[in-house]
Amino acid sequence: MADFEPKIVSFCCNWCSYAGADGAGVARLQMPTNFRIIRTMCSARIDPEFVLRAFSKGADGVMILGCHPADCHYIGGNYRARRRISLLRIVLEQYGFDPRRLKLEWVSASESTKFQDTVTGFVNTIKELGPTPLVKVELPAEAKEAE
Amino acid sequence: MSLKDWWAERKKKRAESKEAKVEAAPASASAKKTVEAPASEASVCALDSEPIGLAAADLGELMPGAPPGGKINMAVYWAAACGGCDVSLLDIADRILTVKDMANIVMWPIAVDGKEKDIQALEDGEITVCLINGAIRNEENEHMARLLRQKSQIVVAYGSCATCGGTPALANLVPGGVNEIIKYVHDEVPSTKDFQETYHKGNYVHPQTSTEVPEGTLTLPKLYDTVYALDQIIDVDYYLPGCPPLQESISHLLKVVVDFAYHGVALPPKGTIVGVTSKTLCEECPREKKFERITEVKEPYEVDTNNNKCLVDMGIICLGSSTMGGCGAACTRVGQPCRGCYGPSPDVQELGSSAFTAIASLFPVTDEESQMSEEDIDNIMKQIKDPLGYFYAFSMSKSLIMRAVDEGGQ
Repeated sequence: MADFEPKIVSFCCNWCSYAGADGAGVARLQMPTNFRIIRTMCSARIDPEFVLRAFSKGADGVMILGCHPADCHYIGGNYRARRRISLLRIVLEQYGFDPRRLKLEWVSASESTKFQDTVTGFVNTIKELGPTPLVKVELPAEAKEAE
Repeated sequence: MSLKDWWAERKKKRAESKEAKVEAAPASASAKKTVEAPASEASVCALDSEPIGLAAADLGELMPGAPPGGKINMAVYWAAACGGCDVSLLDIADRILTVKDMANIVMWPIAVDGKEKDIQALEDGEITVCLINGAIRNEENEHMARLLRQKSQIVVAYGSCATCGGTPALANLVPGGVNEIIKYVHDEVPSTKDFQETYHKGNYVHPQTSTEVPEGTLTLPKLYDTVYALDQIIDVDYYLPGCPPLQESISHLLKVVVDFAYHGVALPPKGTIVGVTSKTLCEECPREKKFERITEVKEPYEVDTNNNKCLVDMGIICLGSSTMGGCGAACTRVGQPCRGCYGPSPDVQELGSSAFTAIASLFPVTDEESQMSEEDIDNIMKQIKDPLGYFYAFSMSKSLIMRAVDEGGQ
């Protein structure tokens, strides 16, 4: 497990956490490089379907970063997001995923060190959890044709 | 006859039959009626209102004898299904009797004699239309689906199970797959446990795929770990969702077949979902929406749904906002929330996540919101019991994750 390098999809909102990530880059803060950032205009733009799709394509963890409560550029977007992500986490848990594979964190534009800490912490968690338990469902059609 | 006239006549007939019923009501019922009267007054909701959503297809004078090119062959098959879809075919009322003028039904396990060997004997493409209902769950389902695909020109995935996996696909949520299901059903359910212990004297017996008996070998089809929708196994031409499909929806399919068989009208493009509207169920639902917030999740029995209010406004979780319309709001107008049997609407890719996204945003934001921790939010969302089973009740096979995963004891 020591050489397991997780694949992490990270959704960042345009106004806070993406700027925070940018700041972390500008300040040359050291952090693991296992994450791929997808920028959205708001954390509320992140449809739980995006997260499920990331998991279905083999992501080991998904991180959703948004503005702090009461700081949303669109007033209440992050409030919607936290409700959806909370419900999504219950759904993922019912599927059998470890709920720690989905992280929701508030990172503001000035908190580049928090971005660094969040990423480092999350990568460590996922390394501890191991690769995604998702098994690609093999359709019998494919099995038949392979024969 | 135009569509409009058809509806007008149907409505007139309905009104007439209602009048006749009132006249025919025996005097003895009148005492009871007075007690019930206020309730039925209030429940005018939508049941008797204008027809909503999808109108039935105008079938005109149906089946005037055999089609010009001779009778077509039709087959109906059930895979992992409950039989409700087969029964729903009878919903087309007296027209079912005239179907025989149009088609030879070469296979319909619930109603006619055709067997697998009869289908084997047919040429490829000799069956014009084949309706397959039910999900694909075992070897036999898969074999028959492939065989019928080979022998048919048009294959229709009929009903929720065939289009999206339906209720049987909830078995995908058992992490251990078939072994766990068989073990539970045969060893742990109280009635079978008792049977195993007394009859088999604790020597637990499980179904095998083949067994030797003095008369020869008996076989059973092998169950699969994952339940599939029909189009995940074979090529499907058209879809007709619903649990079961409503008569209005079926009439549209019948019209496609009749037009094709009698008048040589071109078939709709492959992959068409027949008998649905392009809107969501929410758009069709006659209940009045006030777009209120959900402060408390309620079950339908906990509130009085005998009114014209939107079910979600009353705190009942309804999937109508993501589900394809076409059923005429059959459930919501009688006070039951939509469970999504018509499948995702065209703009939605995954019904479950789309529906819970919408529902989750309906929980109100209070002034204390910025002080609330994620645990507080989790506690609010935990009011929704079993979200996975609820939001994916009919669409598990078509969900992105598709089956339960195992973290391996973590």
